[in-house]
Amino acid sequence: MAFSSRGLVLLTLGAAGLWAAFELRLDPRDLVPSDGGMVMARELFSRAWSPALAYEAADVPAGTRPLLLKALEAARLTVVFAAAAISLSLVCGGILGFFASTAWWVGDQTGGAKVGWSRHGVRPVVYGVARLIIALMRSVHELLWAVLLLAAFGLSQLSAVIAIAIPYSGTFAKVFSEMLDEAPRDSAVALRSAGASSSQIFLFGLLPRALPDMSAYAFYRFECALRSSAILGFFGYPTLGYYIAASFENLYYGEVWTYLYTLVLLVVVADWWSGALRRRLVLA
Amino acid sequence: MSERGASFRLDGVSVTFGETAALREVNLEIKPGEAVGFVGPSGSGKTTLLRLLNGAVRPTSGTVEVNGEALTSLSPRQLRSLRSRVATVHQDLSLVPNLRVMRNVLLGRLGRLSLLSTFRLLFLPPRSEVLRVHKILERVGIGEKLYQRTDQLSGGQRQRVAIARALYQEPSALLPDEPISSLDPARSRDTMGLLIELSRETGITLCVSLHDLEVAREFVPRLIGLRRGKVAFDRLTEELTSEDFRELYDLAEDEMLDGV
Repeated sequence: MAFSSRGLVLLTLGAAGLWAAFELRLDPRDLVPSDGGMVMARELFSRAWSPALAYEAADVPAGTRPLLLKALEAARLTVVFAAAAISLSLVCGGILGFFASTAWWVGDQTGGAKVGWSRHGVRPVVYGVARLIIALMRSVHELLWAVLLLAAFGLSQLSAVIAIAIPYSGTFAKVFSEMLDEAPRDSAVALRSAGASSSQIFLFGLLPRALPDMSAYAFYRFECALRSSAILGFFGYPTLGYYIAASFENLYYGEVWTYLYTLVLLVVVADWWSGALRRRLVLA
Repeated sequence: MSERGASFRLDGVSVTFGETAALREVNLEIKPGEAVGFVGPSGSGKTTLLRLLNGAVRPTSGTVEVNGEALTSLSPRQLRSLRSRVATVHQDLSLVPNLRVMRNVLLGRLGRLSLLSTFRLLFLPPRSEVLRVHKILERVGIGEKLYQRTDQLSGGQRQRVAIARALYQEPSALLPDEPISSLDPARSRDTMGLLIELSRETGITLCVSLHDLEVAREFVPRLIGLRRGKVAFDRLTEELTSEDFRELYDLAEDEMLDGV
């Protein structure tokens, strides 16, 4: 019996899925909640339509900021952490991505003769090291980095920012380098035939072709960073996640929804804003 | 160089890419300010010939001289400088689509600038340069497009941006590769008329490759027919007979049958 290679791939994937389900003893009956769980779930979801507009606790100390203001402040800090992390990642990822792009390091931009010292063994080393660093940064999730950095430096703002920035820099570097490598080369060829140097060709022939994609991707990662930054609240940073966890533990389900909706709103606004910017993006 | 136009001289030039011979034993002389057309079926070596003149392709044997200097003797720096004076207009135009027209034209000057001055020219162009770009765009008929994004222009307009970029190089020779291959007949004539006028006005040497024989005969005073990498004829257009052209293409058909 002859399988097409595609059929073989599908079959393998299917078999892997079945094996994993069997190994984990996945049982649909587990989805039926226990009685207590059912009560809790019902309570939580019943509040979805009526998020709290004021604190649910009976005795709120005088002078406490109103709930909605607190949610807004948490949202603001979520944005601040995300913005700091993304800015740092853009710098680090941009630099690493440059070193990891074959467009620059392997041959020259037009596929012609290799130039200067890059021919003499330095290039593959730099390229290889850049790729290795990227793989290391990306293989550990930001939450795990947060755990590590918290253990090392304690609850400092900087360790939160760095925890997000490490995997994000790696991802930026990987994606940016691929975008540079895949950018159309025709304008690079044209600049070369007009006598431009390699660095001019890279900066003005290749980079502008990749920039729209690169900025669109950066905006998308900013949305991801918002979610990451919110989640870091679970470790005690004053972002939305902190309040979501706290209210949930205190069984203030209305407040949970208030904070959740704030997060949703934040992501929606960021999405709308980045969409508007992307459409207007004319390279200056 | 005191003369505005560049001169070219090819002496027994052959170019082979791997097994395939793109050009064989080509001898050619092009005088300063001359307008020359390369015609022939596709694959006959027109593009390779243009690329030789710009130093983008090295001859496998023979010598290419520009203004009396052999290209092989040039240092990389001199080659860069030569390329900045011999302006190619690529068939696919090779503009940066998401840049404004002005910046695409400014990019023509890269060959003579340091990295730092490139930044300055592109991001803080002095008024005088903006005016010069505008003047060139006016000359090629799209002055009002100065600040438009290049990808918003029509095919014919983009063609003019590519020509403007080449002109901004202040070249001594202009090498458009199939400049009218993607234009409708009316725009083809406009573009060819513009190229011939430009070369007459400024004394720039013009070497243009064309597949449209009718247009070539109408506009270009000297035609060089290429077939299978060899020069089939090299004559003033008025001296050429229909027989010459038929031979150029009939033979090509035979060759295609041979190839099957």
